[in-house]
Amino acid sequence: MAHLNDGTLRRMVDDPDARSGADARHLETCADCQSRLDEVSKDAGSIATLLAVPEADVNVARAFQRVSSAPQAQPRFGFRLPLARPGSRPLILGLAATIAALSLLVVGLAEGGIVFAPSTVTPVPITLADMQSLSQLSDYGTITWTKQPNVQIAASPAEAKADSGLTVPTVKQLPRGVSSTVTYVATTQAVAVFTFSAAKAAAAAAGSGKTLPALPAGIVDGSTLTVTVGPAVAEIFGDLKLPSTGAVTGSGTQHTGSGTTASGTTGSGTAGAGAGGAGSSSEIPANLPQLIVGESMAPSATASANVTVAQLEQYLVSIPGMSPGLKAALNAIKNPSTTLPIPVPAGFATSSAVDINGTSGLALGDNTGVGSAVIWVKSGLVYAVAGTIKQTDAVDIARNLK
Amino acid sequence: MNLEARRVSGVRSDGDSFEALFIAEYSRVVRIANRVLADPNEAEDVAQEVFVDFHRLHSASAQYAPAWLHRAAAHTALNRLRGSRRRQKREIAQAVEESERTMDPQKQVEVDEDRRRVRQALARMAPKPAAVLALRASGLSYAEVAQALGVGIGQVGTLLRRAETTLRKEVTRGTSE
Repeated sequence: MAHLNDGTLRRMVDDPDARSGADARHLETCADCQSRLDEVSKDAGSIATLLAVPEADVNVARAFQRVSSAPQAQPRFGFRLPLARPGSRPLILGLAATIAALSLLVVGLAEGGIVFAPSTVTPVPITLADMQSLSQLSDYGTITWTKQPNVQIAASPAEAKADSGLTVPTVKQLPRGVSSTVTYVATTQAVAVFTFSAAKAAAAAAGSGKTLPALPAGIVDGSTLTVTVGPAVAEIFGDLKLPSTGAVTGSGTQHTGSGTTASGTTGSGTAGAGAGGAGSSSEIPANLPQLIVGESMAPSATASANVTVAQLEQYLVSIPGMSPGLKAALNAIKNPSTTLPIPVPAGFATSSAVDINGTSGLALGDNTGVGSAVIWVKSGLVYAVAGTIKQTDAVDIARNLK
Repeated sequence: MNLEARRVSGVRSDGDSFEALFIAEYSRVVRIANRVLADPNEAEDVAQEVFVDFHRLHSASAQYAPAWLHRAAAHTALNRLRGSRRRQKREIAQAVEESERTMDPQKQVEVDEDRRRVRQALARMAPKPAAVLALRASGLSYAEVAQALGVGIGQVGTLLRRAETTLRKEVTRGTSE
């Protein structure tokens, strides 16, 4: 038998479970390994001394009190996605569907009164800056969540179904190279209400040195737009590390890494904070998802304002300060009541129409395997397949989902 | 359901299991953070942050809860160690606190110096080896360390041995600087 490796010897120092079997028998008869064990053991002992600290004297009950009374962080405008690490192209593609929900606030506002029920998808070239500018909607009114999105990591498809009410789609065959390790994420339905404020809009316009255009008939101060998104489920394939606190909340401390390479760090795992907005707070080498398959109830929007689509859309884009890209995007949507706009990050991906078993869908990305996504709407549900896979593979998975 | 709603309607289910999880794991989470920071007060601060973060997004009855907390404790504490502003603050706080102790002053200086060097060395190390040291030194079993780091139990010995060698090197490097 070959000599025991350092790792095995290290474990023998202080793990009783390791002192059995063939390894233990080898150790008994091998003087070489015995002397190495001595050395490893001595090292371990001196490191333990180095790492010694004064013990903390904790009062669990008091600590629980403090945590229970801590003010709850309000979700910001938008979702916090667990596992989301900004700055990576495939992930941005994967997030496109979520971000689309935010776009709906704008699109929905442009539609007034009628129920928005998308049945097809359309690409909207948009820059990340444009996406972030959606948060500026709060300059034109107030956004409140009457039902907050609650994103949960589920242990099984059954739990994800229990959390969301949606059946997790099953992938027939994973492309080569994609890990079969899967994480389920479910989110409950969320309802956001945007209340238009003429005063705020006027102030925003004034801020850019302009006056607010006169309100068309129908839009009044206090007009509301109610947007419902989700519930949604997603399965994420890849050997993900458990999410760190930072990656989950996006509110931790930012720091610069040590610069040394961790064993197990993947090339893309340390993607820096990108343009996604949710700053990542840790340098934990977490693997990126390789494939995300998601399903969401198609978002819907209703508005209280009783005005025509054209009037509202026109009015919206006439508000000073709105980015030209977003205006162009809004203008590009021909039929907002039946079209789900998918913002395609400009410069990140190309888009093309694909047929998913008779439903017209949208494919983003390319065939290089760097990243691609397919998004389509069927029977009131929005589906998305995205990952660091070839576009042909993404389409294939989409067509064979069960 | 948001946390507030959970509190109201889920008092019997999730609220209770969160409390149970807190009681079961709080001390260990503090211990892990303290092992990294060598500062019990800041370690408690980290532990509470970790629990609040967990509660915000996860179900307390999730099987992965303890592993998640252990890992988060190690990494959050390591992140703090690397933040230079906080480090300075802590060193000052520690100096005050420790000057009040009654130990042979010369000996105390040496202990403080060693402890400071180890913290600097941990901060310089990559997150995974630094975490493996903190987790194991806090008394987690090999199986628990493996779960927290998402590695096979067979890998823990190797990671630990390598991390110990690295720590030794980093501490020596700190001394010679």
